[in-house]
Amino acid sequence: MTKIRWKSHKNGTFFDELLTPAGKPRVAARRLVNLLQSLTPEEMSTRRAAAELAINEMGVSFTIYSEGKNIDRAWPFDIIPRVITGREWDKVSRGLTQRTRALNAFIDDIYNRQRILKAGIVPAEIILEAGNYRPQCQGVSPRFGAWAHICGSDLVRDKDGKFYVLEDNLRVPSGVSYMLENREITKRVLPELFENYSIRPLDDYPAKLYAMLASLSPRERQRPCIVVLTPGIYNSAYFEHSFLARGMGAELVEGPDLFVDDDDFLYMRTIDGPERVDVVYRRIDDDFLDPEAFREDSILGVPGIMRCWRKGNVAIANAPGSGVADDKVVYAYVPDMIRFYLGEKPELASVKTYLCMHEPEREYVLNNLDKLVVKPANESGGYGLMVGPHASRATRAKFAKLIEANPRNYIAQPTLTLSTAPTFINDTIEPRHLDLRPFILSGKDTWVTPGGLTRVALVEGSLVVNSSQGGGSKDTWIVEGSQ
Amino acid sequence: MRLLSRVADRLYWTGRYMERVEGIARLTQAYTHLVMDIPQGSELGWDVLVKILDAEPLFESRYKVYSEQNVLHFLIADEANPGSIYQSVMAARSNVRTTRDVLPQEVWEQVNELYLYTREFAEKSVGRRNRHRFLDRIQARCQAISGHNMSTMCRDEAYRFMSLGHLLERADMTTRIIDVGAGALMDSERHNVSMDPLIWGALLQGLSAMSTYRRKIGPLPEAAPVVNFLFNEATLPRSLKFCLNGIRSELGQLRKHTDAVRHVERARRRLARFDTKATNWETLHPFIDRIQLDLSNLSDCISESWFLPTERQAHRGHPCRREAQHALSVRPPCQHCAAYSALAPGAPLPQQDLQLLPEGAAGKALHQLAAGSFRQFPGARGVSGKIHRTSG
Repeated sequence: MTKIRWKSHKNGTFFDELLTPAGKPRVAARRLVNLLQSLTPEEMSTRRAAAELAINEMGVSFTIYSEGKNIDRAWPFDIIPRVITGREWDKVSRGLTQRTRALNAFIDDIYNRQRILKAGIVPAEIILEAGNYRPQCQGVSPRFGAWAHICGSDLVRDKDGKFYVLEDNLRVPSGVSYMLENREITKRVLPELFENYSIRPLDDYPAKLYAMLASLSPRERQRPCIVVLTPGIYNSAYFEHSFLARGMGAELVEGPDLFVDDDDFLYMRTIDGPERVDVVYRRIDDDFLDPEAFREDSILGVPGIMRCWRKGNVAIANAPGSGVADDKVVYAYVPDMIRFYLGEKPELASVKTYLCMHEPEREYVLNNLDKLVVKPANESGGYGLMVGPHASRATRAKFAKLIEANPRNYIAQPTLTLSTAPTFINDTIEPRHLDLRPFILSGKDTWVTPGGLTRVALVEGSLVVNSSQGGGSKDTWIVEGSQ
Repeated sequence: MRLLSRVADRLYWTGRYMERVEGIARLTQAYTHLVMDIPQGSELGWDVLVKILDAEPLFESRYKVYSEQNVLHFLIADEANPGSIYQSVMAARSNVRTTRDVLPQEVWEQVNELYLYTREFAEKSVGRRNRHRFLDRIQARCQAISGHNMSTMCRDEAYRFMSLGHLLERADMTTRIIDVGAGALMDSERHNVSMDPLIWGALLQGLSAMSTYRRKIGPLPEAAPVVNFLFNEATLPRSLKFCLNGIRSELGQLRKHTDAVRHVERARRRLARFDTKATNWETLHPFIDRIQLDLSNLSDCISESWFLPTERQAHRGHPCRREAQHALSVRPPCQHCAAYSALAPGAPLPQQDLQLLPEGAAGKALHQLAAGSFRQFPGARGVSGKIHRTSG
């Protein structure tokens, strides 16, 4: 019986999630690794096929688009889970809670007293001139001071094994349904491990989301009227919108289903007439939310909804304007925010960030383009970034020009050596780089998902995990005890 | 249980489109059989099938002659024909896709399978060789879906709107079939009266009513009793009376039903007054015309009473409503005609990265997606472009 071929790193250049530098399984991963090592490539392939089948089946019952070229599930799944110990996760989770509290305090401050700007901790011009700053939100105080109710933070582990926050997605982060779906699939293909491991469950996410949204309701009611606002079926995340709406027993609505009446309350159109809406979980960007307040050519949004929200007649999650803190320049100031608003020491590390808007830092960036990752301040999804060590001379020259033309728009960070995990590629197990997106809910309380969505770069050596660029995903286990 | 107007709207049209698929499959099949029975020299034209759908202008804009091949292609596989089986299946599917939350889980799967089957085989099934099998399968699948709904759905408002769609479409189809069948038959210039029973038989077959007719009335299908049977037999699911009664009772259970009930009562009174004994083409045709107008008004009234009312009213008189008076109705494309017609029929949908859509790029992509999202309205292809031009 041929065992599966297992390629691992020599001399521990990277931190591996499941293996020690000596190539031995980490304590928490021992049973998983043992199981994998007992399997032949054929057995692994069978399980992978079972996973694919499960995905297809769920595709039918959960989703799914199958029009034209399949836009469904363009996201390959790797059956080998990533394992993190409960103790380590609790630390990360505390750090994320702290960070999200600070970010919410920051957004609330920016739209109200602007203490942090007056104290000179964050330069006022970079906030007030940013595209994501919405003057329309000035003076609004949402319940519990919570603005970014659903936050998806991207974490990576450097070669020292430490978690770093790479960015915070505070606008309309997506991916949570894939986190849940991945768990369902893993239960089917590696059932024996669920007997031996105590893995923190994920499936109460929709219930937690519901409770958080319900806590925002302007009316005290047994069951507030909660809607999920989607741009429609051709949005790439429609599946998730519908999935979450069903999971919460909320209505899935499109812009034309809602209207604001002369009384400045928000209603949805039902066959029995208008029904007042308490909470909108919107999955469309600020720009399209309200043609009266933002882009007037938007046909996805609801005219007047901002008016209604400003009066406190409806809660919107995430609150309009939350994106002001979702900016790679602002990112650099998060540790300062934690100290300023909470008087605490940041528990979770940020990546050292050079702001090209500052002369000396720009100088450094331009001189070290071959070592740094350069990112536009206001894009995500891996677009428009340059990974210095991998970039050609011409690309570096292009970015040098871009930076000089618009320094505010660029930041640079040292190239992190993202951690890896064993991944089943063809018929061998090979290390691949990955990151992690946990989701943090903030309403009356703050809650962090146990684990999150692990994205993995399936291309050998690649650091880009986005699904548009050859990324896949893995199930993420937070395991108790120290088996 | 609340029901969004938009969801009710889509359920209603799901019902209509599903019924239409089945109706057209049945009709086409019955007609094909009939044609095979008719001796050479006295063929019925294939144009009859197009006339039933009042789709001559559209047909003639796309084909030169009413050949079997052309007509069957038009009815089975033509993407530009909102009444084709293919297009109706597409439309039903896009409605179900966005209302799955209120339907039994398997319904989406079955409708999706019906769609995949149609997409795969419609084009290949225009010829006589595969046609029968294809039409059989289509009917069987439609019946399986209706059966599923009937045996699993709560009799709540969601069910009611779908049911209304089925009944209205069926009443419409029944009257169309009688109208054209009778028109062809009662044409006094026609000879060969000996074939009439064949044709009346095919007509009954087309409505799945042949065996019931035999048991209830007798073995020989003749004009007056057949017409009477298809109009007034209250126990026959495809009779006009059955449909109108069904509509009346579904409407009665909805709130705000006064206006809609008025329309259906008008049709019911009209039917009760009509004397089928003295049937001749001169009285039958205008009667059916009136009934169809009643049905069309009723459909508009249902729209206005329960589905996005303001939007629809604003829509009146808009060019997109200027469909040929009797053509099969398609769901009006609502407020966004502009966004809609800007998107050429068959244009590729914006293909976005599935997950973790880049937040920044999301904004940029959304507007495009917006245009795309209106294609979900059934009949999008049918209404945009071609129909406008031919009916204007």
